[in-house]
Amino acid sequence: MAILEVEDLKVYFPVKAGIFNRTVDFIKAVDGVSFTIEEGKTYGLVGESGSGKTTTGRGIIGLETITSGRVVFNGADVTSRKSKSKDMRKDMQMIFQDPYSSLNPRKRVIDIIAEPLRNYERLSKIEEKKRVQELLELVGLSPESIMKYPHEFSGGQRQRIGIARAIALKPKLIIADEPVSALDVSVQAQVLNFMQDIQKELGLTYLFISHDLGIVKHMCDEIAIMYKGRYVEQGTKYDIFQNPQHIYTKRLVAAIPDIDPRNREKQFKFRRQVQKEYESSYSNYFDNEGLAYGLQSISDTHLVALPERG
Amino acid sequence: MEMKQIEAQTQDPTKSPSGLKILWRELVRDKVALFSLILLLLIMIFVYGVSFILDQDEIVKVDLFAIHQPPSEEFILGTDYGGRDVFGQLIIGTRNSLTIGFAVTLISGIFGIAFGLIAGYFGGHTDNAMMRVLDFFQVLPFTMLVIVFVSIVPKYTILAFCLIFAAFSWMGIARLIRSKALQEKELDYVQASKTLGTSHPKIIFKEVMPNISSLIIVTLTLNLAANIGIESGLSFLGFGFPESTPSLGTLLSYATNPQTLEFRWWIWVPAAVLILVLMLLVRNVGEALRRATDSRQRRG
Repeated sequence: MAILEVEDLKVYFPVKAGIFNRTVDFIKAVDGVSFTIEEGKTYGLVGESGSGKTTTGRGIIGLETITSGRVVFNGADVTSRKSKSKDMRKDMQMIFQDPYSSLNPRKRVIDIIAEPLRNYERLSKIEEKKRVQELLELVGLSPESIMKYPHEFSGGQRQRIGIARAIALKPKLIIADEPVSALDVSVQAQVLNFMQDIQKELGLTYLFISHDLGIVKHMCDEIAIMYKGRYVEQGTKYDIFQNPQHIYTKRLVAAIPDIDPRNREKQFKFRRQVQKEYESSYSNYFDNEGLAYGLQSISDTHLVALPERG
Repeated sequence: MEMKQIEAQTQDPTKSPSGLKILWRELVRDKVALFSLILLLLIMIFVYGVSFILDQDEIVKVDLFAIHQPPSEEFILGTDYGGRDVFGQLIIGTRNSLTIGFAVTLISGIFGIAFGLIAGYFGGHTDNAMMRVLDFFQVLPFTMLVIVFVSIVPKYTILAFCLIFAAFSWMGIARLIRSKALQEKELDYVQASKTLGTSHPKIIFKEVMPNISSLIIVTLTLNLAANIGIESGLSFLGFGFPESTPSLGTLLSYATNPQTLEFRWWIWVPAAVLILVLMLLVRNVGEALRRATDSRQRRG
């Protein structure tokens, strides 16, 4: 069952200029994105910075005003103002990119993690404390640290606090906006594996936003590549990594570093070849404005942005 | 809840310093500011203590047999043209000035902070509309309007004065707080609170406000320095309280009489010095606090 359906999502930001501050143009941060996420799966959204992947996530959860399009979550349209009900927010949570700014420095851990509980569940002080301690234990932090402040934790620990806060209400969908980009590599693996563990444990669905292809390969079942607000290619992990069709995806995959020094020469040649293909066939993949074309289906799971043939 | 947190924070020695602690440390490090704070507190204790003992009706009673007496044992600072004790007027006048200063700072502060936070937090059209209202208040000729309102108000009490004055002096702090709130609302913890289902008022006053508390304290202190002189200024112009309410400004205004200015220094010099000293003291403290909010200027 699809837990989240996004149809032709558009988020435009007005560009204002002139004496009267009129809107002269729009920045099309997200320009017609559609996808569905199955329950229990991890959907990866990949793109370079400025490609609109974060804006897509924020648009879905309601932090960004959607220009047009529809977001259907759990069978209910959550786009219209009326249905921006509290219940919807309860089942959809977000993990933020920066573990430093996403925790209020003036609040104790117990107040941070209990914030969603206080909004939705009437718990007594003792119950609440117990729940927070359980959550801390679940994310691998000492339950004794509930009275500490965020600055007393390391980046990885802070991100775990952020995750504990996001799963406190047992949501169905978690939008993870580059959850490990601000962490160093050793901690990244820790947090990612932990995210997979709780996914199994709680039956979570992830919308995983990242720019790191390695991480996405590790985490996701389905992957979409975004470029300048549009989808370039979408498919299963296999489709994207083994059978990339769009030149942009090919370049991205070719850019993944190979640790084995014996492959260096081979890798170098391969990249050269991809670069040549990119230069010679640019117009086959991008329109006059340098944007991706509409998506064409090339198999059951695999969509690629190609010009319409014929 | 907020206060509890702050209290607990300052009690625990292992925590890294909070905003309030930094303010306090800067204050202690800056000897001039610390001295100013102590002296200010002493003056306040003295003024409020002594004015408790003094009988205001007795002081403002005209005594024609004791006009313009120089300082003596009976009148420590002599008497004015109505034979009224200058020392008593000085104490009660200072008390009034201080009370008004604090009250105006508090009332305009609370309103200005709320206004600025709301405008900055919501941004967009709300911010635009609210800031135009603020602009309107800011272009009004401030002193003139206060004088007009002060003259038409039926019962001229300290409270009425404070309210009128506060109504025209909240704009500066509102502007400052708004700019800070605009910055703060973009931070992820505010966004996170939104996705967690926390209501806007709760985010504004429980999440954003504690994070700009040091700025609030600094601004209020610096405003206090200015506001202490307000009442004296208006009384000096003749729009302050009637002579039945002693005031530093009234004492000062006697100096407009050349005779008093030249020969009866005891009437106006103490009041002038006191106003100067009070404003300087509060300012010293405020400046130290302001420095503490900028880590590059800190000494502590």
